[in-house]
Amino acid sequence: MSRRVWIFVLAAPVVAAAALLISGGRSVTASAGQAPASSAEVKIDNFSFGPTTLTVAPGTTVTWTNRDDIPHTVVSDDKVFKSKVLDTDEKFSFTFTKPGTYGYFCSIHPKMTGKVVVQ
Amino acid sequence: MIGVAKAFDPGTVLLAKHAQHVVLVHFPIALFLTGVAFDWVARWKKRKALAEAAYYNLLLAAASTLPVVVTGVLAWQFQLEGERLKGILLLHLVMGWASTLLICAVWWVHFRARRRGTASPGYLRVVECVAVAAVALTGHLGGFLSGVSGG
Repeated sequence: MSRRVWIFVLAAPVVAAAALLISGGRSVTASAGQAPASSAEVKIDNFSFGPTTLTVAPGTTVTWTNRDDIPHTVVSDDKVFKSKVLDTDEKFSFTFTKPGTYGYFCSIHPKMTGKVVVQ
Repeated sequence: MIGVAKAFDPGTVLLAKHAQHVVLVHFPIALFLTGVAFDWVARWKKRKALAEAAYYNLLLAAASTLPVVVTGVLAWQFQLEGERLKGILLLHLVMGWASTLLICAVWWVHFRARRRGTASPGYLRVVECVAVAAVALTGHLGGFLSGVSGG
């Protein structure tokens, strides 16, 4: 066998593997991008909600986690949802089924506000 | 300018969510601490005028605890819908009640001594020290909760 053939025989599986890897990765990324997000997180820290405005698809469950040393609550402006007092590391979740804009605040610290946009 | 206008709008000030307790609480704290300080200096310097000033500061401190307790309980009932408290909120509530009782007790002992025309009893100094510590701790917890201190 000539030297060129040997190079081809050795390189072919490597090239094929690399091609499969790249194409497989692309397909995973694509499927991840197409599927609607089913959950999202809002962090409560330093007397603020982060992100302040969260945009999600209908059916998404949003979970608020209190990372602050201070107790906080999550109460929607129009009383659609309302958490109990959340101590440090406690969580509250709500599933948004209807499109719309849901403003919310902390009832202990009313200056803390946030918004969930469902679209 | 909108902010300035809002600061002087009675509706905004009176109906602000949960703001009254945070504002009113400063009156008994300041009056009580000043009253105790005057009382101690009055004893040390034997100044009757300072003792009078101490008494009226303590009287006003005791009286001003009433709106503070009422607005605190209302904030709990309205903002948290009377939810069972825990952690810092519960500690603040318990210390608030203890401070209120101690402030009223200090004034009451002073009031009784004045009515009898006698000097206030020696144990009152200890009660005053405990009350000052309780007020300071309650205030610290309140400040921590509201984000003024600590957080």
